[in-house]
Amino acid sequence: MAHRLDVLGLFDNEYRDDGFRTCSVTGLEVHRSAENHVKLFGLTAVVALLYGGILAITVAMTRWEVVGLLGPEAFYKHLSLHAWNLLIFWMVFMEIAILYVGGPMVLGRRLPFTAIAKTGWLVMAVGAVLVNYSIWTTEPPNVAPLLTAYVPLPIDPLFYAGAIVFILGTVVAALPFFVTMWQEKQDQPEQTLPLVSFAAFVTAIIAVEALVGGLVAFTPALLWRLEIIEWWDAAWYRQMYWIIGHGTQQINLVAMIAVWYFLTHVVAGAEVVSEKVSRTAFILYLFFINLGAAHHLLSDPAVSTGWRIWNTSYAFYGATFASLIHAFAIPAGIEAGRRKRGKGGGLFGWLTSAPWSNPVFSSTIFSIILFGFLGGTTGVMMGQLQLNMTWHNTFATVGHFHATVVLGTTVAFMGLVFFVIRTMFMRQYISERLATLQPFFYSAAMGVAVLMMMYVGILYGVPRRTAEVVETIPGTEFSLSAASPLFAIFGIFALLAIAGGILFILLAVGSLLFGDRIESSDNNADLVADGGGSERSSTSSASEPRDSLAMATDPDDPVHAYEMRGTFVICLVFLAAFVITYLLNWYLLTQLWSIGA
Amino acid sequence: MTSTDANATASPLELVRRTLGQAWRDLLSIYYTNTPIWRLLKSVGLLFFGFFCWSASSLLLSYGVDWTVLTYTRAYGFVLILWGPLTHAVVVPFVIRLRRTADRPIFRSVARHGSKINLSVFLTLVLILGTAPVSPMLLDFQSSLQNGSGSDVNPDLVCSKSDGEITCQLSDSDGIDAVVVTSGGREIERLEGPPFEFTIREDDLEEVVGQKEFVVELRDADARTLRRYRRYVSSVPER
Repeated sequence: MAHRLDVLGLFDNEYRDDGFRTCSVTGLEVHRSAENHVKLFGLTAVVALLYGGILAITVAMTRWEVVGLLGPEAFYKHLSLHAWNLLIFWMVFMEIAILYVGGPMVLGRRLPFTAIAKTGWLVMAVGAVLVNYSIWTTEPPNVAPLLTAYVPLPIDPLFYAGAIVFILGTVVAALPFFVTMWQEKQDQPEQTLPLVSFAAFVTAIIAVEALVGGLVAFTPALLWRLEIIEWWDAAWYRQMYWIIGHGTQQINLVAMIAVWYFLTHVVAGAEVVSEKVSRTAFILYLFFINLGAAHHLLSDPAVSTGWRIWNTSYAFYGATFASLIHAFAIPAGIEAGRRKRGKGGGLFGWLTSAPWSNPVFSSTIFSIILFGFLGGTTGVMMGQLQLNMTWHNTFATVGHFHATVVLGTTVAFMGLVFFVIRTMFMRQYISERLATLQPFFYSAAMGVAVLMMMYVGILYGVPRRTAEVVETIPGTEFSLSAASPLFAIFGIFALLAIAGGILFILLAVGSLLFGDRIESSDNNADLVADGGGSERSSTSSASEPRDSLAMATDPDDPVHAYEMRGTFVICLVFLAAFVITYLLNWYLLTQLWSIGA
Repeated sequence: MTSTDANATASPLELVRRTLGQAWRDLLSIYYTNTPIWRLLKSVGLLFFGFFCWSASSLLLSYGVDWTVLTYTRAYGFVLILWGPLTHAVVVPFVIRLRRTADRPIFRSVARHGSKINLSVFLTLVLILGTAPVSPMLLDFQSSLQNGSGSDVNPDLVCSKSDGEITCQLSDSDGIDAVVVTSGGREIERLEGPPFEFTIREDDLEEVVGQKEFVVELRDADARTLRRYRRYVSSVPER
């Protein structure tokens, strides 16, 4: 029976007397407590996405100077709100939801300490509102913080307070997940965690590390801003700040990869080619991924050259290696899994026969491809001491993190929202056709917009964060008007991408409010890989999608018995693109330094 | 005998021949895959690839690399931006449909050679535009940096303090129409013409995070900010 506050029926599912139900798509034993909190955090994330997405319109239309919507001060305020709502609030609320999926849901447990989870949500929401309010009401002498509220810039104390409250709320909301992990190991001390739970656990550890960094940075900054302490070291602040400033994006990365493993397994029948190798890659993230934050300080005079070289050359490649492992393991898993079901055929038959009309699948695949080709390669380049100098503080940097956070994480999370609408909210999409179209439309439009950001940044040196550059940079003797044609392409495709984002919100919210209710498990048969098998098993493992191998030629065959040459070719193409882009960037750098001239 | 066994006994030449043959068949199967999703994937993929070839070749050429081949990769990328989607969204589906339905000899001939005709037109366009490029495909990277159309406005702001008063002056006033001094968002001085020298009282300044500060903005005739200087009283030297 639905709760009396559940007026829209969004939290109303049929549970057994023990509070569990069996998901017809994943085969997981889902407890009411876990599912309702996943919905709560997921819905809040979509609200943040909506708000940040609206601000994307004003930001993009200011940077496209043909429109030139806002003046410099208003632009910076809008940019700050856009960044905080999309990079932080949309992501972190979704990530808590993912922890609850990867923890209690995949393990078939109830969510412990639900009051703590609700308290965490409430504190996070208050923090998010405070941050938004403080930025929106910024007046001189304070300046809008964007994501680099560097001491000694005067920032509204309410902003620091809001950020601290949000961080504390996130730590509180993550506690039930950690308790779940502890309970699981108490009950099953000999059993390893399923890969998705393991990935969620690594995500949570990296998250706590980043969040503690945030507390260490923001708390003294607040005390300094309130003039309780007189002075604060700016160089120390910057180092601590980037633990959360970039660490939050590393949480996105690891959470996104957990989603990749989960969704490709459920909707495309992917197998894990090697559990040990994939787990090792997550361990590498645990030790090395946060070193990526160092690239923000590569032009900083406060750190030594040795510090820069260690963080951006040797140690950083530990994380790159992990990403390359996942970049091979996930498509290889899809290929082997599909060939095992007799869905191979030729070099790419496993891909052509995949469920492309399913937005959950297409979102996941576009996230993998676009993150890898656009976000990952540029990330490695930017993270290198020498190449960083040609990217630092140009619009290309903005292109890089839109490639990672939007084309990678946001698109993957959109796929997850599509999945949750069908499997947890039990609603049909209001339009199947538009739902199929949305990932293609959004990914393509955003992909071109991101490419243009990179091009105008790296090819013309267009700076980031400024309201105007193409007409002229006031007071300087050079202009960047040659970048106008590419800026025009950027403007048009940014608008198209925003239209794709609006379409997603309409589909998500519209489906929740007006979508037909799914009454029978057969209504979700299209979500299971290849429609599932004809005979449904009632004894499927809690971590396995139901009937995942019902169509396999021989379910007992090891995954290595199937060839993965399609993945091999894709990886070669990826490697070639990587090498060409790398060489091109180095060539550009040598020209700047006139080496050999 | 499985293909693996066959490969194990094949001569190296035979192995290369088989591999190339398989690669060619794979390429053809991708080229002719005609589901809506793959039409879209191939179109968008070629659009991206075209953009990359065009911009990267243009960039290298702009740095004076005199490899003639770059003019052709630039043309290839430029034409591919349109021709890639055209081929896989329109031409290939049309040719496949025509192969099933054409009943007149001329249509059958077009259906049989449609892809070759399309590829020939594409390559001809690439050769023409590679040899004689048209202006829309020429990305201009450097002219704007060399035309010297603007003038750099970046004078030094020199300040000193004495008896509770701060006096400032600019080393150069060319290109500056007005100077506005603010503190804590409040305007405390405005100079509409040179010489841009002003004196302000420390008592009039706002304290921000424990330090008295003021901001000096240089503006042009359109009231646009050219330069902005932030000064803390504690760091202004005594006269």
